Amino acid sequence: MLSLQQDSTTPPDVAQQVSANFDVEFQNKSHLISLHFIQLCVTVSGDATLLMREMLKIFVKEAALRSLRQAEAEDCNQVEIEHFEKILPQLLLDF
Amino acid sequence: VSDDEQQGGLKAAVHYTVGCMCRELGEEHRREFSRQTVAAIAETAFRECDIFAKDLEAFARHAKRSTVSAEDVKLLARRSAALYKHIQNKSEELAREQRDSRKRKSRDTEEESRE
Repeated sequence: MLSLQQDSTTPPDVAQQVSANFDVEFQNKSHLISLHFIQLCVTVSGDATLLMREMLKIFVKEAALRSLRQAEAEDCNQVEIEHFEKILPQLLLDF
Repeated sequence: VSDDEQQGGLKAAVHYTVGCMCRELGEEHRREFSRQTVAAIAETAFRECDIFAKDLEAFARHAKRSTVSAEDVKLLARRSAALYKHIQNKSEELAREQRDSRKRKSRDTEEESRE
């Protein structure tokens, strides 16, 4: 995927894997984005919505993968919230 | 539907999707995500979306447009080189697809008019 983190050895095809679930949610996504606009006089083009979907998907995937890696490093079988807490600051800086 | 209700529904949708993605990734790596972790990732994604939306709005406004375009999203991804490249490729791909489908459509209408 993206080499946002230098030590991340994510398989290159991860970004291409489109989960069907996100397609279901896609209809909601444009609402999701427009919901947050301060003033609703701004509209979003179709392209932009699709790209935003991609961005959010990458964000979630990065969060999950980095937490996984942290859990792996600590030799835990379950990814706990502590692992996510540890990777959160860098994740937020990267986006 | 009130704003709060809508927000709750969207949050649930995000939570569900994050749950599915985490399960998938967990299976690949033979690890499990705790429910708390999934909830935390979902909440972070939701708030990040809030930041993204505000940025996009500001970008569009700065360009004196009232529509958020693909260019604005590219600008949003500028901070990380890899992400920027990926979004750029995706955007080009989308543009190509649209051009192709438009060509196909115009060809179809041409054939129809010939018939």
